Amino acid sequence: MTARLRQGERVVHLALWTWTAAALLLLYLPMLPPPLFSLGDRGIAQALREPSLAGYAQIWGQSVLLGAMRNSLFVALVVGVVTPVLAVLAAMAVREWRIPRGVLLLMLLPLFIPGVSMGLATAFLFRYLAIEPSLMSVCLVNILWALPFAFLIVLTAMSSFDTVQLEAAYMLGSDRWRAFWDVEFPAIRSGATGASTFAMILSFNETSRTSLVQGPNNTVQTYIWATYKQVGLSPSLYALMTLLIVVTVILAFALWRVSGGKPARPT
Amino acid sequence: MGALQGRTEPLTVGGTRLTLRNGLLAAPLLFVVAFLVAPLVLTVVISFWRRSGFGIEPDFTFAAYAAFFAGTRLDILQRSLLVATEVTVLGLLIAYPIAWFLAMRTSARTTRLVLMLFTVPFLVNYIIRTFSWSFLLGRTGPVNTALMAAGLIDAPLDWLLYSDFAVVTGLVASYMPFMVFPLWLALNGIDRRLVQASWMLGAGPVRTFMQVTLPLSMPGVVAAVIFGFVGSFGDAAVPVILGGTGYQLIGNEITSTLDVLHYPLAAAMSTVVVTAMLALVCLWLGLFDLRSFLGKAGAR
Repeated sequence: MTARLRQGERVVHLALWTWTAAALLLLYLPMLPPPLFSLGDRGIAQALREPSLAGYAQIWGQSVLLGAMRNSLFVALVVGVVTPVLAVLAAMAVREWRIPRGVLLLMLLPLFIPGVSMGLATAFLFRYLAIEPSLMSVCLVNILWALPFAFLIVLTAMSSFDTVQLEAAYMLGSDRWRAFWDVEFPAIRSGATGASTFAMILSFNETSRTSLVQGPNNTVQTYIWATYKQVGLSPSLYALMTLLIVVTVILAFALWRVSGGKPARPT
Repeated sequence: MGALQGRTEPLTVGGTRLTLRNGLLAAPLLFVVAFLVAPLVLTVVISFWRRSGFGIEPDFTFAAYAAFFAGTRLDILQRSLLVATEVTVLGLLIAYPIAWFLAMRTSARTTRLVLMLFTVPFLVNYIIRTFSWSFLLGRTGPVNTALMAAGLIDAPLDWLLYSDFAVVTGLVASYMPFMVFPLWLALNGIDRRLVQASWMLGAGPVRTFMQVTLPLSMPGVVAAVIFGFVGSFGDAAVPVILGGTGYQLIGNEITSTLDVLHYPLAAAMSTVVVTAMLALVCLWLGLFDLRSFLGKAGAR
């Protein structure tokens, strides 16, 4: 009986591994074509036989595209700095105010609004206030989108911090700022760094919200989308996508390393 | 807190003292109110305005809603609801066993690694991934080639691309990673002793799952449903890339309405979409404690 049960368990185990692997294949398969197509536009066989890096070379010759890259970097930098600060403040509000549920709901709200609706709504606001679309409006929308994720990451990091340590710091004469900076922040630093990285990655990969508030300022993503809609895809666009995939994977790996060392399960 | 207050009653808002510190803590909330809540309210207001030439004028008319609910756009709404439901159900069927497996059966190390593997494709722009699907599912793409090489079909399948099938596939691939995490959080938070107790009382694995694990994981299921539904219902890129010319879901219908500068109509459609989402969220909040799906992080 137990032997049969154990064998059944093994079959279930194997089936679930297969299922998980199949799902991952479904998700990773679409990351292969862009690198292949970036090597030439006469089919994959041709691209593999005579790979050409012309697509990559073309990137550097286009001033619009270089501008878009600068914009993307600038936006990612602003988002990476501002978002974790807001996230830490919000997580502290959850802890200290008597309305944790209200704070949580408001902070998670951007998750529940479809991209088009969020982009449209903010575009209306800027228009209504007669604010010209600029990199600032792009930054605002990207921060809004990244905020719930950053907030959840910081909240998780903070949950393992015991506030008794803050009490101790106050007893020893620290003011609230010193206590936060010297005692609490070091304890949640990996959470804040993780939130910052996550926010930057999200902004690097954002199209639907950004494209509605960008005005004349393209990011790399909106440049790819606009060019696709106007003239279609080309090796240089695929080269751009490849670079974005590579940057994202590197940042995600860095994020994983940064958040490492903590158990995945609550103990 | 109250006992520490001085003799003079400090200025308070909803029981919270108005200090520089509280002002700082309020900053992120004000940010969301100013740049999301207010804009959404403005969208509702604009949906009642009148279109005049290339611009809009304040008014109170239901013209935009009348234009929305008359004719083809109602079909688009119905199709969007149907597609979003299909995507959500499929996503749930794919993600739930994975989340259960990671929460109940694998080591902490493996769990971390596999969850990381699900994070990477979630982070890579889904539009880039969707471009690839249009190649993978095309007439001469690998899927058709493989099926023909295996002798399963004689001619390439036409319905793989520029069809409901393609759009649903693209949307599932885009939003399924989003659904794994809330499911895993909910399943991981279940007290194992409850499962063991059910087993000790003589319930088999299936009965234990149906009567203990599944009900306890419902907050995660509903959260996953919301994520899958929000994403696929409002998406504006996948139907353009994989649906082919003229394939409209509500998301890309909104953007094409914007292209012809009919702002009140776009606002009305967006309002309907957002209302549907908020109704789902309210349902969720009514059924479960918001903090239950955050697991440990929300438990205070």
